[in-house]
Formats: sequence, structure tokens, C-alpha cells
Amino acid sequence: MANNISALNNNKSPSAQVQLQASLKTSKWSLLKNQKQLVFMSVPLLIYILLFSYAPIWGWLMAFQNYKPAKSFFNQKWVGLQQFEYLFKDEAFIRDFVNTLCMSVINLVLSFVTAIILALLLNEIKNMFFKRTIQTISYLPHFLSWIIVCGIVSTCLSTEGGIVNEVLMALGIIDSPVLWLSEGKYFWGIVGAANVWKELGWNTIIYIAAIASIDPAQYEAAEMDGAGRFRKMWNVTLPGIKSTIIILLIMNIGRVMDAGFEIQYILGNGLVSDWSETIDIYVLKYGIKQFNYSLATAAGIIRSVISIVLLFAANFVAKKLGEERLI
Amino acid sequence: MLGKKRLVSLCLALAMMGSVMAGCGGASESKDSGTAPTTTADSKDAALDPIEISFFISDPGQAPTADNKIYKLIKEKLGVTCKFEFLVGDKDQKIGVMVAGGDYPDVVFVDTFTNPKFTGAGALIPLEDLIAKNAPNLQKHYEPYKNKVKDSNDGHFYVMPDYGVYYNDYQTNIWQGAAFWIQKAVLADAGYPQVKTLDQYFDLIEKYQAKYPEIDGQKTIGFEVLSDGWRDFCLKNPPEHLIGHPNDGQVVVDPDTNVAEFFWDKDYAKTYYKKLNDMYNKGLIDPETFTMNYDQYMAKLSSGRVLGTFDQFWNFSNADLTLKQQNKIERTWAPCAITLDESIQPYYQDRNVLNVNTGFAITTSCENPERVIKFFDTLVTEEWQRILGWGIEGEDYSVDSNGEFVRTPEQRKNYDDQSWRLQNMAYTLWYYAPKMEGSFADGNACTPGFQPKEFYASLSDYDKNFLKQYGYETWTQFLNEAPENRISYPAWGIDLVDGSAASMANTKIGEVGTKFLPKAILSKPADFDKVWDEYVTELHKCDIQAYLDRMNDQLKWRAENWK
Amino acid sequence: MNIKRKQLKIEDVLFNTFNAAFMLVLAIVTLYPFINTIAVSFNDGLDTIRGGIYLWPRIFSLQNYKAVFFSGTVYNAFFVSIARTVLSTVLNLFLTTMLSYTLSRKEYVLRKPITIICVLTMYFNAGLIPNYFLIKGLGLLNNFWVYVIPTLISAFNMVVIRTYICSIPESLIESARIDGAGDFRIFLKVIFPLCKPCLATIALFVAVGSWNAWFDTFIYCSSKQELSTLQYELMKLLSSTSNANANPAMAAGVGANSQASSSLVTPLSIRAAITIVAAMPIIVVYPFLQKYFIVGLNVGSVKE
Repeated sequence: MANNISALNNNKSPSAQVQLQASLKTSKWSLLKNQKQLVFMSVPLLIYILLFSYAPIWGWLMAFQNYKPAKSFFNQKWVGLQQFEYLFKDEAFIRDFVNTLCMSVINLVLSFVTAIILALLLNEIKNMFFKRTIQTISYLPHFLSWIIVCGIVSTCLSTEGGIVNEVLMALGIIDSPVLWLSEGKYFWGIVGAANVWKELGWNTIIYIAAIASIDPAQYEAAEMDGAGRFRKMWNVTLPGIKSTIIILLIMNIGRVMDAGFEIQYILGNGLVSDWSETIDIYVLKYGIKQFNYSLATAAGIIRSVISIVLLFAANFVAKKLGEERLI
Repeated sequence: MLGKKRLVSLCLALAMMGSVMAGCGGASESKDSGTAPTTTADSKDAALDPIEISFFISDPGQAPTADNKIYKLIKEKLGVTCKFEFLVGDKDQKIGVMVAGGDYPDVVFVDTFTNPKFTGAGALIPLEDLIAKNAPNLQKHYEPYKNKVKDSNDGHFYVMPDYGVYYNDYQTNIWQGAAFWIQKAVLADAGYPQVKTLDQYFDLIEKYQAKYPEIDGQKTIGFEVLSDGWRDFCLKNPPEHLIGHPNDGQVVVDPDTNVAEFFWDKDYAKTYYKKLNDMYNKGLIDPETFTMNYDQYMAKLSSGRVLGTFDQFWNFSNADLTLKQQNKIERTWAPCAITLDESIQPYYQDRNVLNVNTGFAITTSCENPERVIKFFDTLVTEEWQRILGWGIEGEDYSVDSNGEFVRTPEQRKNYDDQSWRLQNMAYTLWYYAPKMEGSFADGNACTPGFQPKEFYASLSDYDKNFLKQYGYETWTQFLNEAPENRISYPAWGIDLVDGSAASMANTKIGEVGTKFLPKAILSKPADFDKVWDEYVTELHKCDIQAYLDRMNDQLKWRAENWK
Repeated sequence: MNIKRKQLKIEDVLFNTFNAAFMLVLAIVTLYPFINTIAVSFNDGLDTIRGGIYLWPRIFSLQNYKAVFFSGTVYNAFFVSIARTVLSTVLNLFLTTMLSYTLSRKEYVLRKPITIICVLTMYFNAGLIPNYFLIKGLGLLNNFWVYVIPTLISAFNMVVIRTYICSIPESLIESARIDGAGDFRIFLKVIFPLCKPCLATIALFVAVGSWNAWFDTFIYCSSKQELSTLQYELMKLLSSTSNANANPAMAAGVGANSQASSSLVTPLSIRAAITIVAAMPIIVVYPFLQKYFIVGLNVGSVKE
């Protein structure tokens, strides 16, 4: 209730202001009655969400059991916080936790910056055919599986004629080929770069759509003011897609516990395991493969809790800065 | 890492099949006399009411085509339609939901690691009475092993082992298992010497590499150590073989006391890795060896410039084929059964053992278990084994004047075609169901791969000469004679119980090895001891004792129950 | 004045040249893996193992595609995949947009709680087994609708659409309201058509997600062949090829031949072929969606 009113208070549109005043006088119920159509349009979907996403949450209780799929849920052994204790006491879990966090922050920054820059640059191309072709080509790697992309990545990084070493040697940056995949310090960078390579075009699509919806009159007005190309980008295009950027940023901050697992699994090796292992790999090894669903669920809960905390924090910061918010 | 370990074990299990041949199919409208009359009666009874049997195979595979000639024949003669579902994604996830939901097909194929999941859920039905009453052929088939097929928890017979039951004489030709492999050109260049020890092995490679620093314009690679994912047995298993033990996974078992010892931290292991360290610093070992994935490993082997590797043949057999395709037979490899010194008797080649806990089991969802067991009973007769193993006489093979089964090059080629097999062979049924191995009463091998003539027909002139230089007839002669199997063998088949301390420790141990062994091998000679000590310290942080306790507990159980 | 104009133009030319050059490099870098995959897919399976295939097959062969299309199951699976993709996309777009519209209405009393409930679904997952029980309880096991019903609403898409709707001038909605339109009518007649560029991208996301999905077939429909999807059939082929190659019995069967068979398929080459087969339909459909979001639709000028 309090939330609803504060939501209304934050409202800036004039029509809503009128309604707000009305709502202060009437009860919530009569307000809802006025919003019958909105209710009919959203509440069935709310029930759907509750059924498909929230109902199965009982499964989280498994984290407090020693769940064996063979037995029914109620005949399981309850173990309290034992699974959580195991995780927090395990050095490997802590290490994987840190790796996950670092890799996803790197990925987040890289993929955001590159996708926005590419969208801006594509927007500057006036030849429609060229623009469409480039845009189409750039998203193609999205359809390749990680195993194919990683195969190409390792070929490029090879010390026997790999293109990366050849180019760096030709430029005189290194004297002899570097074994890129044998050193942990390069691993995060390689993962970040491979991610950009594979997903850049795909990530850009959403910004291109946002740019497409900017009113051309705004560009004309800026031109009248004598704005150059970069000024227009800065003053028209970027503000035009700002809300999209911020919303995506908030949503993705909530996803930092999710660094993926395939690329690390495929490119990783014993020499870099201190850098390459993520929580997903940990859960696979010690949870799923061990038929240890309780441990896997416990790790999932930890992840969800952190994600949701980060999400609200990011949303709060956006609110304080007066920016678009998610919630 | 248990997942990996499981896969390794599965593949090892497969590897143990040695040169058992991919059975072909072929329907026999042909008479095939000489089968027990009871069986014929059975199959006629069975034909009376048509039945569909649903199978879940916890291995990836492809269903036969709808017009497959062998399955058609089975339907015609036995009234049985087989509906197969194969594993596609992750085995543990699939079985997890299957067991949790209690939705089973009639028959499941289980292995050492999935068996406890099904039996633990009470999903399988005991077979001992069912077989005794309905299946005389199966009863005879498993009679010598009636103690070994018992479940280690409750003593029931749930799973019909898919292989390891031998009839009459047999001969293995190609070694599919583990060995130190050496390029044939290296041996030929050195005058076909016998290679007995680790030092001799690396000496040969070192000399050859010095003499020929390049092969076909590319740098010669002395030795490769694959460590990608679950295939890291190439890195981790050699020490046990070097001291004359068979592949028992991460332990060596004393044959006299039947007690397992964890060997990764022992001095003989250190000796081996120190040798690799020396070889790396001398430039014999490929610097990329620990960062490359399996595909890159195969690409390097296929280039013909790798002189040696420790591996199991099936793991790189495609590289062998690629070299043959390029007509570089001299760049393929011969196995060496080497040890640390000549006083140690090597133990690479093994005898086939009964593959306990792996095979078909009937679930509680099956409505007509008698009928299903009768079906398998019929299949294990010579009449049907011939159809499953060789195909249809006249179509897939013929019988020469000596009564020997022979195939034309055309017929042999068909086998290699995956599509052809899906149409013309009942491979799935042959491979996973109880089967005869060895040879039939008339002396022919149960499958073409065992037929000596088939093997010689497949050899190239280079290989014929190569074998002649050594005075051998088969590749298996490069290895030790397979000794009588110990009761402990193979110890890797022991179920560690998912999620238990033993199993978690096993995963941890694997990770430490994956991390430190490459580090030790790539270190400067002066640093080796330091890295090794660090490795041993890390190993001892794992609960090795929990792992060993479980192993020894089960070894003891075997000793008491497997007599 | 004139001089200034000219300088600007030089800047423009420089910028355009660099931009075009950069785009070309980008195109090469992103096209390469795809071309490489096509080359591998047309190369002999055994030969592929040697590596070193870049832009062109070394030993041309159709065996990989033959293996993909050999089993007739692929055709039926293809139609199942199309059906699920079209149904999911249409229903998901309509319902998600409808929800987005209601959640974009600032005056809506339930706006905040529903938004939070919906957004949070992105950040947790109950796990495989509870979800399995839910699907089983709803009678969706081995049922075509399991491909459509669980994915009707997507929180991420809801947020993206909502953000877009918020950028639509309020005046358009007001004027419709003055004309006597209720919320549902406004949504259907005003909002839905105006969201085209955004919906085109969301349609792409949903369609690609649905087209590429195989895990639901794996867990919920694997025992019913007629419900198998294209991705699942392709996965099956890939995993069986990998298994056959690691399978000694098979290897021995092949090893019985001295000349390596040309009909042997290997995981590397099969993987390439199935990637192309799976991606082709999307690539063909893509330009039709692309035109909606790349050409630019002028929201402001649509009505005013």
C-alpha cells in the first residue's frame, strides 16, 4: 500500500497527477475498479508467472536436505545449513566465486561499451545496403556454438603459426611466440575478447532498434544549431538511447553471478584453473555430476540472493541519480 | 573430477572390449540349423503376441531407420518391436529426473555409475528367478559368473552384463587399450629394436628427433601429453603401468594382499614426471601440450610429426585412420609395453573381464518382464548371434568351401558407413544386450573383427613387413601376455557412491593433479622438486583416506563374494 | 563560412572512410568463423581432423550433410521446430507486450508489485527437479504445448518493451482515451503498432531462443519421437557421432579396413554441418525483421 502511493507520488505525468489526487480521496479498491481493464490484462499473467516461476521454489528446501532423487521429497534427510557451510569452507568455491565475479564484470563492461560504440558507428553509415550487410554479418557468430568459437580462438592463439603471435611478432611487440592459454593472467582477457567477438553484433541489435526510434526532427534541430557529427551523437543519439542503456545495465548488474561456463570449460586447462573455474563449473563438478542436488541448489540460492541484492542496489543508485529505473 | 572419471571409466570399459568387432546385422531368412530346438519353440511362442519394448540407452546413439532389415526380421520372427531412446544431453540430469519422477521405460541400459542410481530408487526388478524360470540360454550364459553378477548391496541379480562371456577360442589382433605409442618410422629407423624401458623409449625418440628435426616441413614433436578434460588419463595413468600394474585408475592394488594404494604421490610417480620434465627441457615435449584441446591434439597426431604419446588406442584411432588416408602408414604408431626397468614385468594388455553392473536391466514399469527376458534369451542363441554379429549370409558375408565366414571388400566397406549401419545392422541390440564372444561351435568368430582372415586382409604392405621384422602376427604381440585377471581388476569400476566423502575427495584429487602435474613438467629442472613438494602437500590436503577406505572396503567385498 | 563548410566536409570524409574501413575489418573478423564453419562442413570428415582448413574445403564432400538428412526424423523435427517457434513468438510477443503496457501505466495500482515479481524471475531458478514435477503435474510431459506454455512471458523482454512504451509520447495515449478508448483498445490500436521496431527485435530474441532450444525436448519430450525438435535431432546426431568415434567396437570395425573409409563422419565435421543447418532458417528470415529496426521508424511523426 505504502509502496503504491509512493509510486504514484513519483509520477510526473500531468494526467497521473490528476488521478493521484483522485486516488488520495478514494480507496484503493475503487481505484482498482477504475483500472479494471489493466487488471484483466495483467493479473492472469501474474498468476501465470506465480505458477511457472514461483511455485517450483519449494525446491529450494532441498538445499537444507541431503536430497537423493530416488526418495520422495518428504523422506529426505534434513541437514540444516550443512551444504552452505561446505561451500563457504571450500577454498575452491571461494576461488570460483571470485573468478565468476571478475570475469562477468570484465564481460559486462566490454560488451556494453563495444555494443554501444558499434551501434553509434553503424548509425553513421548512410548507405543502407552497406549498413544492413554489416549489421547482418556482425551477428552471425552468435549462431556458432562455443565449442566452434573456442576451436578458432585456440587456433588463433597457437604458438605454431597462430595469427595473434604472428601479428605481434611482425609488429615487434613480442620476440617469441607466447603461450597465451598457459598463463592465468591472460585468461580473463581472452574470455572477454572472445565474448565480444561472438556476441558483439547480437548485443548491438537492441541499441540499433532504440536509435531507430529517435525522432529525426531532433537531429534536424541539432543541425540547425550547427552541431557536428560528434555533437549530434553526444546530444541526440546517446540521450535517445539512455533509458535503454540504463535499464539493460541494471538488469545485467543483477546477472554478474552468471559468467557462463562453456567458454571457461573449453578453453581452461590445468595451468590456468585458478583463473578459469567459475561457479557453474563448480556446481557441475560437485553438484550435478555427484548427484548432489542439495549442494547445487545451495549454490544457486547464494547466487540468487547476491543477484537480487545487487539488482536492488543498482536500481537504488539509478533512482538517486534521477535516472530511469527498473522497478 | 568425478564426471570426467566416469567418462574415462566408461570409455575404459569400452576399451576393454579390445578388438571385439562392431557387429553388423543382416537378417537371415536363411535356415541356420544347429540351434537348440527349445529356442525355436520359444521364438514361435513369442511371435504369437506382438509386443513393443521401450529401451532407454544411457549412451548417445542413433535409432535404426524404420526399414532396418534386422529389426524387421526380429519383428517378423519374434513379434518384438524395439523402441530406443538414446541419451542426448547430460546423463546425470536425465537420470535424475527419470528417477525423481519414477517414469521408466521397460528396459534401461545402465553402467557402473548409473546402476546405483536406479537400484537405489528401487527401479529395477531382480532377475534371478525370472531367468531361472523363463530363460534357459541366459541361465547357461551367466552360470559361471553367478556370484559376480550380484549387486554388492543386496545380492540380487539386476543387470545382465553386456560383454565378457567367452565361448571357445579367440584371438585379439588390434590393441585398443593403453600403451606408450611410438611412431613406426622411429622403430624402423633404429632397426626394429625391442623397447622395454622408459629410458629406451625416450632415447629412441630423442635420437630420431635429432636426426629428423622436421617431418614434411613441420617441426618434429617428440612426445605429447594430452590433459584435456576427462581425457587426462594420458597424463595421470602412466606411473601405474611403469611399475607393472594394470589400469586400476588412481590406485595400484597389491595382488597378494588385495589392498589398494594411492600412487600419485609415490616416488615411482615422481620418477616418471621428472623424466618428462627432463624431456621437456630438452625440447622433446611439445610446449603446447597442456593448453591444447582434444581436437588440436588429434590435428597434431594426424600431421604425422608426433613420435610418441601415452594414450589408449581408441582415443586417437581417428588420427591413425587419417594418416592411413594420407598414405603415411610409417607415421602411425606401434604400442610399447614399457616399465621403469627391465626387472619389472609389464602389465598393459589384460584379459577380458565380465563387465559387471553394465548392461540391460528391466524396470518396475515393465508390464511383461517374462516376455522381455524371453526375448533376450532368444537373442543370445547362436542363431541370432550370427545374425546380429555377421548379418545375413549371402548379403553381408558368405561361407567359403572351408566353412569359414568371409566378406568382400565391398561388404567390409559397408560397415564403415554410419548410414548403412542404421539401415542394415541391429548394432544397438548386439552391442548392449547379453552376447556371445569368442567363436561359434563351427570355429567362426562371433564377429568379423575376431576372424583372423579379416584382420590380415586389412593390413597394408607396410604393416605386413613391419610385423614380419618383429616376427609377429598381430599388434597385440607387442605387449605383454595378458595374465590371469586379479579379483581387484579393474578397481576403477568400484562405485564411490555419489556425493560421499570418497567421491568428493576423488574429484578434488583429480583437480590437484590436473593443476600441478603440468606445472611440474614445465618447470625448470632446478624447480622441479619444489613444485613436486607443493603438489604432494596439496594432494594430502584432500581426504585421500576416505577414498582409499571405500576402495579397500569394496575390494574386500569382492574377495568374499566373487569366488 | 564556405571555408568552414569545406573543413567540415574533409572531417566527414575522413570519418566516413575510417568508419567504413573499421566496418569492413569487423565484417571480416565476424564473417570468418562462419565461412570457416561452412568450409569444414563441406570437407571430408577424416581429413578435417588434420586441421588447417580456413576458407575453402580441402577435400570436398557432402557426406556430412548426407548424414544430417539421412535419417528421415529431421524433416518432422523441422516442422515441429517451426510450429513451436511461430507459436511461441506470436503468443509471447502479444502477452509480453500486453503486460508491458499495463506496467508502463504509472497510475496502475498493482504496477510496482507485479513489476517486482516479474523482474525477480530473471534472477532465480527453482532447479531441474521441481520444474520437472510442475510440468508433470500440469500434464505437459510428452505434450507439444510444453514448448510454448512455459515461455509465454519473459521478464527481460517485458522490461525492454516497457522502456520502449515509456518513450512513446503520452499525448498519443491521452488523445485515444479522450476518443473513449479503454486500456485494452489503446494497447491494441495505439501501442502495439507503434512498438514495431522494438517488437521486431524482441521477436528475433524469442524466435531464436525457441528455435535453438533443445533442453526442453531432452527433459520433457525425449521419449516421443514425433515431438522431437530439429535442434534435438541435431544434438542427437552430434553426440552419437562423438560416441561412435570414442567407441572401440566401432573403431575396430573401421580399423578392419586398411584404407580409411571416405564415408566416416567425425564430430568436428558433423558439428559444422549441423551449425549451418540450424542457423540457415534464422539467417533467411532475419532481413525481414531487420528492416523494421534498422531503417528507423519515426515515432513522433506517425500520428502528429
